[in-house]
Amino acid sequence: MSTEATGNGALLAASNLVAGYVPGVDILRGCNLELHRGEIVGVIGPNGAGKSTLVKAIFGQVEVRSGAVTFEGDDITSASPHQLVARGMGYVPQVANVFPTLSVTENLEMGLYLQPKAFDRRMADIRPLFPRLSERLKQRAGSLSGGERQMLAMARALMMEPSVLLLDEPSAGLSPAFQDQVFERVHEINDAGVSIVMVEQNARRCLQIADRAYVLDQGGNAYSGAGSELLHDPKVVELYLGTLARAK
Amino acid sequence: MPRRRRISALLLLAGAMALWPAAAYAGDDGGGTDNGENGENGENGEEEPAPTTTLPMGVAAITGTMPPSGVDPIEGVEFTVETADGQEIGSAETDVDGVWSVVVPGPGAYRVEIDPETLPDGVDLTDPDRTEAQVTVFEGRPARVLFAVGDIGGDRPTFLERLAQNTANGVKFGLIIAMAAVGLSLIFGTTGLINFAHGELVTFGAVVAWFLNARGPQWQLFLAGFVAVMITGLLGATLERGVFRPLRARQVGLFQMFVITIGLALLMRHAILIWYGGLRHSYADYQGQTRWDLGPVSITPRDLTIVCGSIIVLVAIATMLQRTRIGKAMRAVSDNPELSEASGIDVQRVVLVVWVMGAGLAALGGILLGAVVAVDWQMGSRLLLLMFAAVILGGLGTAYGAMVGGLIVGLVTEISTIWVSPSLKIVFALAALVLALLVRPQGILGRKERIG
Repeated sequence: MSTEATGNGALLAASNLVAGYVPGVDILRGCNLELHRGEIVGVIGPNGAGKSTLVKAIFGQVEVRSGAVTFEGDDITSASPHQLVARGMGYVPQVANVFPTLSVTENLEMGLYLQPKAFDRRMADIRPLFPRLSERLKQRAGSLSGGERQMLAMARALMMEPSVLLLDEPSAGLSPAFQDQVFERVHEINDAGVSIVMVEQNARRCLQIADRAYVLDQGGNAYSGAGSELLHDPKVVELYLGTLARAK
Repeated sequence: MPRRRRISALLLLAGAMALWPAAAYAGDDGGGTDNGENGENGENGEEEPAPTTTLPMGVAAITGTMPPSGVDPIEGVEFTVETADGQEIGSAETDVDGVWSVVVPGPGAYRVEIDPETLPDGVDLTDPDRTEAQVTVFEGRPARVLFAVGDIGGDRPTFLERLAQNTANGVKFGLIIAMAAVGLSLIFGTTGLINFAHGELVTFGAVVAWFLNARGPQWQLFLAGFVAVMITGLLGATLERGVFRPLRARQVGLFQMFVITIGLALLMRHAILIWYGGLRHSYADYQGQTRWDLGPVSITPRDLTIVCGSIIVLVAIATMLQRTRIGKAMRAVSDNPELSEASGIDVQRVVLVVWVMGAGLAALGGILLGAVVAVDWQMGSRLLLLMFAAVILGGLGTAYGAMVGGLIVGLVTEISTIWVSPSLKIVFALAALVLALLVRPQGILGRKERIG
């Protein structure tokens, strides 16, 4: 149900992805996604729709059984995550997204593992984006709060100056104040020139900042379109945004 | 975390299995050949280095030195050897080196009697009533019989002197355990694998060094040890590339891999037995050194070098983990392999480096243990239980935990020998482990995660 033809100058494109964890059980059953340069693309849908699996499949963390992923025109379907990082893709998992026994600085160093020499330069770029982390550079990441960890995880993924950032539910489990901060950060990162794929539970907030969004259901694309359109599309509201959207 | 708890239970099971060869060995020591009383107070709880001499096939002999320490040898002391039923076989006097020996007709039980009249004036047996000793002779190596003499061994040490001496021994032993256990802990941390064959890497290193030092090219021990560490590191890389990486790639479960390591341990242990044999040997260098008295503690230059060298190696490892890129990557992979991969770290390569380093350190531990005690085909599997205890005590998966745990295990085992038989010392390491885990379930340096 993709609205655009694949390979159409897209920075990142997934076409007809079939993927899963357990042999014989497909979580994604022919899923499509396109990301153009400079965009924020949201991925929303009910629990178990395959949102997280989609970004993991793109990032090479889940076995892709058929379909293809292209990045800057090249097929990256079977590439390993560290190769994708080298090519300019960043990924922030939903849980376990920092190294708890490493210090904040060391976490950021690991983000720049492939280019250790660029550390000071990248730190100068990153620090203004995440002022709270700058105060905690020597602290163990395991002692940070959930919100601080999310900031650190994003900062870590940005160290390599990726052209694409994949965010898996960045606001999950955070207090409303911290959720606001996360979405603000995502916006700033995008303004700095990073294209973003963001999986979100908080569909309403996600659609507010996304240029376009995909609504997944049962491993396939149900709807897609501009964020503001989907936000007010009665079908989407009824099926996936539910009471939360209607209440507002 | 339930996963961690299950793994702890598994490790305890592994430890219990490791105890089996240890217990078998303790029994062997009880019926061993050193029937004379050990007048030395230094090596409390450690096995005597076995004599390196071997005899031609079919020849059996009994030998000994006077005094047992070999320091200030006494010439002209007479020993008589009889069969168990009182038939005299022969007698001998100690030579200028204080050494005597009597050839006996074959393996079996014999009685050795010392003639106290032949001792020089002013030298008396520690126990004047004990002029006889029972000894069992085996084929192929001389049985040693030692009688302690009083005024050479000095006064019986006070409690504090023994405490100081055993603490020194415990530090030495603990550093060796720590070194061998770092790899066990790092391999577990980075891959989740409980490597039951880690003890065999210890044995392998010690045996290869023995071959290079005392048999084959007869290199000096430092060179032989260095080459043995390299070869064992290579073996570690081979195991990772040839066995464990393919198993991980096929998503074989951790329990299945654990069982595979048990099989691997048995295979390696018996391959070593076939090649090396069942006897204990010592290295050609640094044997029979005179002890230096450092305050209340006496230590041979060799052991002092081992202690200092081990500390340097462990500090170097800690610095490597803390400061270098690969060291930080090892800690990162221990924390979270998937996130490491997502950060651009080549996790497979880091694991390979961990295997090479861990196997090399295990070999180094084995070589040092071989220099202090002796090399034999079961030395590593006997050490495995203590390594597991050290790793769990210190906190699973962290190299620092293995270091701290190793030191504590070494100290507890050695200090316990002040009160109880050395053959029970391993029990005390496990008792310390249980007590420590009751207080701190995650281990001494293990950390609880902050949630949220």
